[in-house]
Amino acid sequence: MTSEGAPIDFGPPMEVVVDAALAQRFARETGVPPEGDAAPIAYPAIWLAQSRLRDRIAQICAETDALPVHESQRFAYEAPLRLGVRYLLAVAARRETKPSRLVLDATLSDVQGGAVGRFETVLRLVSRADLPGKGHA
Amino acid sequence: MSGAAALPQVGERLPPLEIGPFDAQALARYSEVSGDDNPLHLDDALAQSIGFAAPPVHGMKLLAAFEALLRSWRGDLAIASLGGTFVQPLLRGEKATLTGRVLRVSQEDGVFVRLYAHGPGRAPAIIADATLRPRSPGSEGP
Repeated sequence: MTSEGAPIDFGPPMEVVVDAALAQRFARETGVPPEGDAAPIAYPAIWLAQSRLRDRIAQICAETDALPVHESQRFAYEAPLRLGVRYLLAVAARRETKPSRLVLDATLSDVQGGAVGRFETVLRLVSRADLPGKGHA
Repeated sequence: MSGAAALPQVGERLPPLEIGPFDAQALARYSEVSGDDNPLHLDDALAQSIGFAAPPVHGMKLLAAFEALLRSWRGDLAIASLGGTFVQPLLRGEKATLTGRVLRVSQEDGVFVRLYAHGPGRAPAIIADATLRPRSPGSEGP
């Protein structure tokens, strides 16, 4: 079980890369015009949807019989995100109660360890007993 | 004469951008590209079972669209941050209007813009914000 405030293990940092073709498709599906070798601001959403992270989130939700509802999202950059470049993505998480939330804090660095960006994902954990309800997922 | 672009004024409003409506194929494509395969966005019966008239559009798809609004307004500024709270779902088949207004401007902290995505409901679908900064010479990013 996870308890409030306690860090939740999401494993070691993972290597990620901005795939140029995927970035182009992501930009098209979100209405963002292409811009040189810069990736869309929200491209890291793709990394945050990787199965390793989703499976861990699903496990945490199962422990509390809750559904995750995407409550907020933030992308902040120290340096531009570039197509074809390899980065390291480290994810830390914590539980909050009242209301029940899971907060993911992802840090992106270049392979030399320089800060590139930080991405916060807040998931409201909605008890299945409280459904039906409305919210983003 | 300086080549630096003038920063916007506090209170300046961004030209609105209308997006959508998004059909089932658009939601399926976004699911595939993003890896967000939550069936709630694709399955009518599931959406109806929890009270929606139609599947909701992915919140992240809408949040990401603010980049187009910001760049069409001031492409000479780099987006240093973008974040938002998903307040009310936009449903498949609905349009949204993206708007923004400059709340703060400083040379040190850049340009802070309040952003909204409004669907047909009274409450906004997303309340967001972004920080923009003058681009470094030769840079396309923050």
